[in-house]
Amino acid sequence: MAPKVPPQPILEQNSTAAEAGHGQAHHAPPKGILRWLLTTNHKEIGSLYLIFSLTMFFIGGIFALVVRLELFQPGLQFVRPEFFNQMTTMHGLIMVFGAIMPAFTGLANWMIPLQIGAPDMALPRLNNFSFWLLPVAFGLLLSTLLMPGGGPNFGWTFYAPLSTVYAPPSTTFFILSLHIAGISSILGAINIIATILNMRAPGMRLMDMPLFVWTWLITSFLLIAVMPVLAGVVTMMLMDINFGTNFFNAAGGGDPVLFQHLFWFFGHPEVYIMILPAFGIVSAIIPTFARKRLFGYASMVYATAAIAILSFLVWGHHMFAVGMPLVGQLFFMYATMLIAVPTGVKVFNWVATMFRGSISFEPPMLFALAFVVQFTIGGFSGLMLAIAPADFQYHDTYFVVAHFHYVLVPGALFAILAGAYYWLPKWTGHYPNLRLSQWHFWLSVIGVNLTFFPMHFSGLAGMPRRIPDYALQFADFNLASSVGSFIFGFSQLLFVAVIVLCVRGGKKAPAQAWGDHTADLEWSVPSPAPLHTFETPPTFHRPAH
Amino acid sequence: MRTLLVWLAGGLTLAGSSQVALANGWNMPVGVSSLSGEIYGLHMTIFWICVVIGVVVFGAMFYSLFRYRHSKGAKSANFHENTTVEIIWTTIPLLILVGMAVPATATLQKIYDPSDAELDVMVTGQQWRWRYEYLGEDVAFNSNLATPRAQINGEEERGEHYLLEVDEPLVLPINRKVRFLFTSDDVIHAWWVPELAVKQDSIPGFVNENWVRIEEPGIYRGQCAELCGVDHGFMPIVVQAVEEEEFDSWLAERKEAAAEEAMGVDREWGMDELMERGEGVFGSICASCHQPEGQGAPPAFPALAGNEQLIEDADWHIDTVMNGVSGTAMPAFRNTLNPVELASVITYTRNAWGNETGDAIQPSEIAERLEE
Amino acid sequence: MWEVIKSVLAAFLGVQREQQRLKDFERGNPVAFIVTGIVLAAVLVGLIALVAVLAAG
Repeated sequence: MAPKVPPQPILEQNSTAAEAGHGQAHHAPPKGILRWLLTTNHKEIGSLYLIFSLTMFFIGGIFALVVRLELFQPGLQFVRPEFFNQMTTMHGLIMVFGAIMPAFTGLANWMIPLQIGAPDMALPRLNNFSFWLLPVAFGLLLSTLLMPGGGPNFGWTFYAPLSTVYAPPSTTFFILSLHIAGISSILGAINIIATILNMRAPGMRLMDMPLFVWTWLITSFLLIAVMPVLAGVVTMMLMDINFGTNFFNAAGGGDPVLFQHLFWFFGHPEVYIMILPAFGIVSAIIPTFARKRLFGYASMVYATAAIAILSFLVWGHHMFAVGMPLVGQLFFMYATMLIAVPTGVKVFNWVATMFRGSISFEPPMLFALAFVVQFTIGGFSGLMLAIAPADFQYHDTYFVVAHFHYVLVPGALFAILAGAYYWLPKWTGHYPNLRLSQWHFWLSVIGVNLTFFPMHFSGLAGMPRRIPDYALQFADFNLASSVGSFIFGFSQLLFVAVIVLCVRGGKKAPAQAWGDHTADLEWSVPSPAPLHTFETPPTFHRPAH
Repeated sequence: MRTLLVWLAGGLTLAGSSQVALANGWNMPVGVSSLSGEIYGLHMTIFWICVVIGVVVFGAMFYSLFRYRHSKGAKSANFHENTTVEIIWTTIPLLILVGMAVPATATLQKIYDPSDAELDVMVTGQQWRWRYEYLGEDVAFNSNLATPRAQINGEEERGEHYLLEVDEPLVLPINRKVRFLFTSDDVIHAWWVPELAVKQDSIPGFVNENWVRIEEPGIYRGQCAELCGVDHGFMPIVVQAVEEEEFDSWLAERKEAAAEEAMGVDREWGMDELMERGEGVFGSICASCHQPEGQGAPPAFPALAGNEQLIEDADWHIDTVMNGVSGTAMPAFRNTLNPVELASVITYTRNAWGNETGDAIQPSEIAERLEE
Repeated sequence: MWEVIKSVLAAFLGVQREQQRLKDFERGNPVAFIVTGIVLAAVLVGLIALVAVLAAG
């Protein structure tokens, strides 16, 4: 996904910079690997994030396929339960922290400065540091698989005391890698807030910003609020494991449930961290291809904020079965049900935007439409899970697995893919290959639904999650899920092909790649976007109301 | 508006006709307890609410996608923001949610009322089995997976209740309110039987309550629902619900057997009977970590076969089994196993797989140490 | 003050008239909105907790 950087734009940039009076301060950019190690350019760092995330997506995907392969039929055929547990755990950790989050950060790096008319991120060196922490963190995390006793095997939620007293020796390295990834996220979030609040084009007010920028602003605050909680909880684990404390060890007077409260106080907002920017992307794409203004811009901003606030009040719904007092159960049930309201507002807004529009179905729109439908299905199962008495039956079954995968894969991931297709012409100057994109879309839709829809049934029928082998009545559902997962997994290779082809050539895209009606600032710079843009701030024109 | 009504009607018809198809292994079981039907009802209500909303929203969406295609020359309208519409689409969901919260609250209140129980059963999760203790009745036993490893590894044909069968099921009476007390000896487990609609975490250091009143006799199967380590997938639950008289006579029988076992503590046991008994205990309790041949799975689970410290120091060996090793996965067995079981399993591990120490540890010796 | 509360409540539901929004943004100082937002969020928590306590009996 690297931007093609022909020498001309750099010359252009130098001449504009010279006009500004500090052209001589520029050095020639370093060559080869050093250029990427030392870059402070938001577009290059954005590309690095996206390439990293795509790599992690394939690694996490391979782990998922190992899991699905073992679950293809009853019995233990391919891996032992020890390794199976490491695969489910690593799949979750890699996908959450290594694929989805960095993908959104990559899009933010590329697009936020372009959408607000800023020349770069506010803190470019910090930006470089935030990115390069990630390969370190995930290199360390992946290396635990080769350590004696294996890698983390306690699920991505790493509940104590399974993750402390009963954990493999490599857990200390797992904790360190989460710390490093957490620091990267916090620094990234600080950078994004600083950029958005200080570097908007003259005349652009907060309520003029594109929704992707808005959702990222709110996401950044969520990140800064909850990442330290994660850091705190893993530090307590570190102390329990290595320094003889007993925070989570009941035998020493500690409290295993405290772990879950702390984890989910981080974990629930984390879920929204992975979906809010997706809302922003889809809210940009639908109006473009419906050729109609977003129905309720202010509503969307407010609903995003409302979801963010509510996300701090609902962590207990992950813990309905731990034996909370009745008042606690009721509080978390009511608060969780309330989230359906702002989420509904968003879906209704997208549909109202399509109503009486003029709709075309280019690849970004296909993914965005699939996002709306599939995310809503995930929202429905979320509403069902909110009903505490029924949750006793759903909790820790494949129904939950189906629910969060619907939100994260056909949800968040599809939004990322939609965003990639939407902005590829801006990044590379070429349109993605239409035929290949359509194949990628349809195979993904079929694969993803074949994988995750039957999981609703296996869960309701009684299959617990995280088991390497299962009773015979779940065999058909698992067979379907496994077939679907291989279709979905392998069709992502098409995405790689699309990107490679798009970088190397293809139909040339004009500045306004998706039509003259697109008003956001990124469409005012040439395609491909030169390495340096908006060195003199653009004037922002508010669309007439 | 007409279109909307048509959609709604269509959705409901679909709802009615697919009810039958859904009830067969695809859906949550209606269950056999006094509350399971109510929980199933909540599940189906919220499900149909979602279906109706889905039909309306997706209906409107696909109608727009079809009707306002750019390729058919649709010209986009220029409207946006309408406070009335926005207020409607926030209030209606809010009202639906309140309507849903009321019955859910009522059911939850019932779940949270374990008063007037006629029988108390302590359920203890252990890696990787369940221990059941009928409180006040001196009856307690472990319940282990009964599916042979050969079936799991595909060397034998899999039986009907593959992975959902145990050596000793939990026997409960029907029509009596049974209170469960859940706890754990090691990591967090969760006791779940779908037909009883009971799922509760068993957490070390905590005692959680829940209850059930089973209304139909039968055999109900479930599994551990919280990741608890390597054999999380292999610790099933089987509940055998029987008529009340049958339960009473079963309990009396078990009490007698327990009393007999207690008598055995005082007599001298021979090497052969200790070894025989010990092999059984080892197989059901120890082998999941230390492996059937005592070879262990280092570093987490040390080998017992050829373990020098074990062979040389009988005292340390007995202490380790009785009191566990804090900070590791080795639990204390002093309260889980009786003196006969402790003595025989220790004797077995001191003499099996080439650990030929010749020591025969007597139950009376263990009983003495238990009293210290 | 009532105007501010109304706007913040509208924000909680995700409903706001464009004119009203423009009027709000003419005020120039967001502090009143931020403080009201935090206070009302706390009130919301209290309200849900109260309902839960009452329902739990």
